[in-house]
Order: sequence, then C-alpha cells, then structure tokens
Amino acid sequence: MKSMKRSVYKFVLILMVVGSFAVCISVTQADQRQSLHEVKDKPLASDFVLKDIDGKEYRLSQYRGTVVLVNFWATWCPPCRYEMPSMERAYEKLKKSGIIILAINIGEDEDAIFKFTADYPVSFPLLMDQDSSVIKQWPVTGLPTTYVVDPKGHIVYRAIGSREWDDEALLQKLEALR
Amino acid sequence: MYRLITSLLCCFSFNSFATVLSGTDADARLPFWEWRGEKVSIRLVQRLPDQSRAYFMARNFSNAQAELMAQSCVFQTIFKNTASPGQTRVISYDLSDWVVKSAGRKRGLITREAWKKTWKTKNVAQASLIALEWSLLPTKHRYEPGDFNWGMTMYGLPPGTHFDLQLVWYENDLQKKAVIPGVECAPDIHPDPESE
Repeated sequence: MKSMKRSVYKFVLILMVVGSFAVCISVTQADQRQSLHEVKDKPLASDFVLKDIDGKEYRLSQYRGTVVLVNFWATWCPPCRYEMPSMERAYEKLKKSGIIILAINIGEDEDAIFKFTADYPVSFPLLMDQDSSVIKQWPVTGLPTTYVVDPKGHIVYRAIGSREWDDEALLQKLEALR
Repeated sequence: MYRLITSLLCCFSFNSFATVLSGTDADARLPFWEWRGEKVSIRLVQRLPDQSRAYFMARNFSNAQAELMAQSCVFQTIFKNTASPGQTRVISYDLSDWVVKSAGRKRGLITREAWKKTWKTKNVAQASLIALEWSLLPTKHRYEPGDFNWGMTMYGLPPGTHFDLQLVWYENDLQKKAVIPGVECAPDIHPDPESE
C-alpha cells in the first residue's frame, strides 16, 4: 500500500513538473506568434480626413481599391514604439503591392511626432488625431490597435497590441486581400 | 485510490497551471508581480511616483494634479491573452470587478471614468485628458488569442503600501478569479543630492 502511495505521489509530481514546462513553452510560443483576428460582419470603415505633420491631408476613402492598415498609436506607448520598425519593414515590402499604412497618432502635436521620427524613422504617413475625434468613431479601447481595411472599405482584421508586422504569415494575409 | 488520483488531477488541472511570479522587470528595472495562467498573463510593474509626476506634468497637468495621480500607486500593467491563435479563447475583463485588499480594507481601482469625473470641473486641458485616458489600461476589454494591451493602473494607495490584488476575468464568458498577493506600491524616493 505504502509503495503504491509513493508511486501515486511520484506520478503526480512528475505530471506537475511536465505541466509547468508545458505552460512555460505554450506562453513563450504564444508570445512569438503573430495573429490577426477576423472581424465579424466586416463593418464599413468609418471615413476620416486627417493631416500629417507637414499639413498634408489624407482621406481614408481616397484609398478605395487598395488594402489599408489603419494603426492607432502614441509616442509614449511602449508597444506602439516597439512595432514601428517592423511596420516600416512591412511597408517596404508591401508598397510594391499598393498596400497602404496610415498610422494615426492620438492627442499629440507635430513637435512630439517629429521628435519621435528621429528615433523611429518611418516612410508611411503619421497622421494626427489631436482631439481624438477619429479614434472615437472606431471601436478602439487601447493602444496600439490596428485594423485592416479591404479594397471595398470594410474592416476585415484587427490586432490589439503590437505585432511583428513583417512576419511572412501576416504579409501573406494582407496580400491575399488585394 | 482512483478517487485520490482523480481529485489530485483535478486540483492539478485547475490550479497548477497558474503561477505568481515576481522580481525585477528587465526593461523598467523596477519590481514586478505577474499572474500567469494557461491562457492569460497579467503583469504589474511598479512606476515610481517621480516617473508619474514627470509624465503627467509633461502632459500639462498642474503640479498639484500630477502630484495627486503620482501618489495614487501607479503600475504599468500588461494584460495578455496567451492562447494560441487557432484557439477560440476570448478573454474579457472589467477593472471594476478587481478588488484591492490592504490593511483589512477593500477598495476598487481608479479607472479612466473615475479620473474623468475627478478632472471634469478642474479646468484641465482637453489634450491632457486625452493623454490620461489612453495612458490608462482600458476599463473593459475583450482580447482574442495573441492580443494584449499595456496601460497604467492606479490603486489609490499611498506610496510604499502593500496590498493583495484580486483579479477577475472571463474566459469564453466563464468567470475566473485569482489573487496576486503582497504587491507593493512604489515608495516615493527623493534622492538627497548631499548624500551622493
């Protein structure tokens, strides 16, 4: 009886150790996976007109017929900063396919964004939503949040939190929408 | 014997996947506490009152307003849905459900909505309010696998206070609870220039 008890305890102990490893591995892997969530019902994206730091106006609807990534961000937001370089690398690969990135800064001015570009140079437009009127028209509750708008103007994917945007699987998903 | 094995396995499957970690955050170089389960991780990283003071003053809050928030026990908080992208495990939470237990008293967090009410009549610039709103962890959110957010959470306790944080969230609408014990609000350290 005693030896059976011992065996049971050993079995449970081994199971717990193996289980803990499994959790660690699954959490680590999940951190590394890049995912886009399909948006249910694919609503029509709310149109906007916003200026970049040079005063040039951008209207979302002018990009009908192309795939657009709409990214909401701020300079003080660590994951927003983290994903900027990979977004730039993705843009370099995607712009040949005509895919556009519009990164909408929330609540900051030209100076803050200009300083930011010294550390995070990007070639896609950085737009300013200083009074947060545009973000309120979109279903965003935290930064960064990125939506993918298809050529017909419907929101098809969403990502909350940063991503490695130049990940091949993500790029293929975006190119498949063209 | 069979019952014993079954009950041990049940305990194992419900509890032992969860771990509370603590230590020093590599990026912030400040203490952190993290609850990590099979599908969710919630990490609190201390923010020094001086960091928060500087942050809010840089966003045009007055000294007194920045001081009030800096003294409110601020943590950088990272909430992640760590389920694999293929799994349909939706995680949602409402910070109003979370309970802060300190010195035998229970209290709630100070959310975006609470601060909005506080500053409503205090003549705070709109740009400052926008920065505050988006700096705080959203009060309610739903995360698909792979989603996560960063944001400040505020607990309304004096610097240096210890507390237990009861977390509540939903996995596919099924309520889950956990406790992170012994979390410490960052002390308000003012280095003395003469001692350096």
